[in-house]
Amino acid sequence: MDLNLNLNVNGRPERFAAQPNELLVERLRDGLGLTGTKVGCDTGQCGTCVVRLDGRSVKSCLILTAAAAGSEVTTIEGVSERGGELTGLQEALRQEHGTQCGFCTPGMVMALGELVETSAGGEAPTEPEIREWLTGNLCRCTGYHSVVRGVQRACAPAAEAGVPGREG
Amino acid sequence: MTAVPGETATAGGATADGAATVRDATAVEDTAAVEDTTAVRDATAADGATDVMDDAPATAAEPAEHAVLGQPMDAREDPRLLRGEATYVADIDLPGTAHMAILGSPVAHAKLLSIDTKAAEQMPGVLKVATAADFTDVMPLPCIWIPGGVESHFPPHPYGLPGARPVLTGDAVRHVGDPIAVVVAETPRQAAAALAAISVEYEPLPVVTRADAALAEGAPQLHEAVPGNLNAYWTCGDKDRTDAAIAGAEVTVELDLVNQRTINSPIEPRGAVGDYDATTGEYTLYATTQGPHNHRFLLSALVLGIPFNKLRVIAPTVGGSFGTKGYLYPDMALVLLLSKALGRPVKWVDTRTGLMNSTVQGRDHRQHVTLAGTRDGRITAVRCTSYANLGAYPSTIGPGVATALMGRSITGMYAVDAAFCEVYAAFTNTVSLGAQRGSGRAEAAFLMERLVDRYAGEIGMDPAEVRRRNLVPKEEFPYDNGLGWTYDSGNYLPNFDRAIELSGYAGMPARKAEARTRGKRLGVGIATYVAICGVGPSTRMSKEGMLGGTWESANIRVHPTGEVAVTVGSASTGQSHHTVFAMVAADELGIDPSQVQVYEGDTLKAPYGQGTYGSRSYSMAAPAVALTARKIKAKLVRAGAVFLGVPEDKVVYRGGAVHEDGNPANTKTFSELAMAMWYGWGLPPEIEPALDETTHFDPPDFNYPFGTHVAVVEVDELTGETEVVAYTAVDDAGNIGNPKIVDGQIEGSIVHGLGQALMEAAEYDENGVLISSDLNHYALPRAADVPFFALDRTVTPSPHNPLGAKGAGEIATVPPAAAVVNAVVDALSDLGVRHIDMPLTPEKVWRRLQGETQ
Repeated sequence: MDLNLNLNVNGRPERFAAQPNELLVERLRDGLGLTGTKVGCDTGQCGTCVVRLDGRSVKSCLILTAAAAGSEVTTIEGVSERGGELTGLQEALRQEHGTQCGFCTPGMVMALGELVETSAGGEAPTEPEIREWLTGNLCRCTGYHSVVRGVQRACAPAAEAGVPGREG
Repeated sequence: MTAVPGETATAGGATADGAATVRDATAVEDTAAVEDTTAVRDATAADGATDVMDDAPATAAEPAEHAVLGQPMDAREDPRLLRGEATYVADIDLPGTAHMAILGSPVAHAKLLSIDTKAAEQMPGVLKVATAADFTDVMPLPCIWIPGGVESHFPPHPYGLPGARPVLTGDAVRHVGDPIAVVVAETPRQAAAALAAISVEYEPLPVVTRADAALAEGAPQLHEAVPGNLNAYWTCGDKDRTDAAIAGAEVTVELDLVNQRTINSPIEPRGAVGDYDATTGEYTLYATTQGPHNHRFLLSALVLGIPFNKLRVIAPTVGGSFGTKGYLYPDMALVLLLSKALGRPVKWVDTRTGLMNSTVQGRDHRQHVTLAGTRDGRITAVRCTSYANLGAYPSTIGPGVATALMGRSITGMYAVDAAFCEVYAAFTNTVSLGAQRGSGRAEAAFLMERLVDRYAGEIGMDPAEVRRRNLVPKEEFPYDNGLGWTYDSGNYLPNFDRAIELSGYAGMPARKAEARTRGKRLGVGIATYVAICGVGPSTRMSKEGMLGGTWESANIRVHPTGEVAVTVGSASTGQSHHTVFAMVAADELGIDPSQVQVYEGDTLKAPYGQGTYGSRSYSMAAPAVALTARKIKAKLVRAGAVFLGVPEDKVVYRGGAVHEDGNPANTKTFSELAMAMWYGWGLPPEIEPALDETTHFDPPDFNYPFGTHVAVVEVDELTGETEVVAYTAVDDAGNIGNPKIVDGQIEGSIVHGLGQALMEAAEYDENGVLISSDLNHYALPRAADVPFFALDRTVTPSPHNPLGAKGAGEIATVPPAAAVVNAVVDALSDLGVRHIDMPLTPEKVWRRLQGETQ
């Protein structure tokens, strides 16, 4: 029996009927066509499906749509306009080439977005803190270095714009 | 610092202390780092290649301006990826799509007595259930790398290879996950649910999962056509000479090594969408492929029996591969066949567990290796006997990976008088073997670098000093390694010394002492490597057993507006092709990279090419781009003579324009020329209008990047946990196109190699069940598992392509496993530990700390 549910996705109210065992990632990808959120594993390990649920980054393959009902969901599509300007974090990741095949990238942007936001105005996260935050997101291409540098760049106070190390 | 042409130049963030990172702004030598970066750019500039290129064949470089190449440009792919806008196979949603699920065998070895699909056919949403009986006219998946050569297979015709995998198995299952049946339904969930309703009757057969066990008397037999499970016995080198050298040596050391099976685990699982058009009779396959042309070639005529002209293969954005997505899989054929049968697009997207039970796995050698040498540190002979596990079926090129790619590399950067390698490649009840980032070459480096450390320990010499004494001298190049490869160019000593210096090697004794005060055992491990790349010279590869050309191609079409389209046959799986190939074309043509658009990945639009594998895009496809640009330039010089009204020998092409030599005012820009060529007015008959050129680049020989890595680890005395505390990598990939992209690949590659050393293993139980079949049970390195690395490079151009380029993408996966195991063994050497098998899990190391033997 389907449940009548609602979600606020990227600022837009969505109403739909869903099976009780539907996963949030299925609703987003298959139901709403928001394919920026990826599926990389079956077990909640890889982090490619991370979205923001009422501001917190969560793995959307581990949450039933029904459990998210009534919440605010932000997906990668809600972070920056299609073809539009990048956020500070995205721009920093671009400058550090924090992406290669790009499959893990949306999940990382969503997870790291919370870190960058919660750090704003306070102390920038340390390298170990960034690495710890990233442990929920697997990447097989970059080895994480450029991602960590991207976060450092994004979190650096304006006066210290730029990240240590060689430009190449 | 100024680079000397042909000499080694170094670049990057040099730090005196290996524990510091190159990104540390407080590092004392930061200023030097900036200077060094400049040096690399000098070296990659026009004169950098001259020394080696003087003797080069016809493809050798002409002086170029290099306004673009060598610069760290941002990847133009990245914004789209960062916004989640790229389309991967799973994101493709054609109207009317039906969804396929595959029933994989739950048992590793059994006869199939019966398959009952009736109940499944009645399940909600089910459109079709198919078994092997539905595909009796479909050929098995060809294996196109047959160790031992292809002379007996000309004209190439890889049908009927013993043990080849059918698209669905009908007689027996040979590994867990072996595809038995498929369901197509309206939704993915319905398709998956219906799998459970298929009833299969199995007659269990005995299971074997190790190559050496599969070759033993009385072992379970996998294929009737392959008695004794032996796919190939392959050798290289000089056995008699090697045996004699070992027999008469002052010192010999031996090791029994397990190079464990690993799973590549690209983060995007594989997927395929088949779309048959009944009106035209044409098939379109969207697939996670790193070689769309190759898959078209192999699938159309060889497997499906459909005309080549009726199959189009499209690689959309592909989410990583590391070798695995270059192979032919049953699902690629099945979605096409079922799309035709149902008259609808059919889509299949794998799960992670499905991937781990179906996508080719890597490494998996059991080896007995011997090194002979003198008491004063001269290596005289190396011998390897290896049992390679091919899995249940020969994958597309798996047998070649397990033999030539490994065996011909075993002596690495060292000049060794006598070497011999023999490989027994056997079938077992495991997933098929294929490529894994650094495939073959990583296994070779591992055995050699473990042996060198063992030898150093035996003669009581510093492992760095042993290595220094045995490096192939610069003047020996091109160097025949006696195992079948001739190294193109090399300058090993400066590379080696740079890594040793950068790692702070001299300060290690003090650091070891300091670590002990914290309950840590510090160890340092060195590993060097030579990685054959740039596959390849097609004729040479045919001798190696490759059934197919291995050249690469590029087309450049200049639009009337002066914008440029570059189309290549290869296809990216994350290597930023759109950025790098634009840089190559722009650099050659003297125009801005923003004028150049790159296309790839669609067989309907792209010139033929073999694909992205073996770190070949920049050393194979990029030269094709450069040579094509030179054809464009040559034509513009001829046409320029007409437009400028001067003889051809008075026309020079420079800075994106043609000029009258000595009269700069008489000039036509690239954009003006493009428009003039589009109109074609006033051209003499021998000059065709328009600018559209193609090159098929088949290099004279491979290229051989090399390098030296140094790992520093701390082993916790209480827990056995190994932490990589510093890692130095000095790689030489010849001239670099975009250092930003290469550095990213180097960093990722090192982490991949560290994964094998410390945590990754495909574990099969005694019943042949893959226990590590998801990411809860197969450990991949995470961000907190690694420190920043100290990267540097030397530059030794290859003479075998016009860019002086060598492979780069995966080369840094080759040495880390050896470097880390050497480091951990160093840390434990005073306990009498001489070797530990990978992965070096805390438990395994802890047991050795307790004095247990392996």
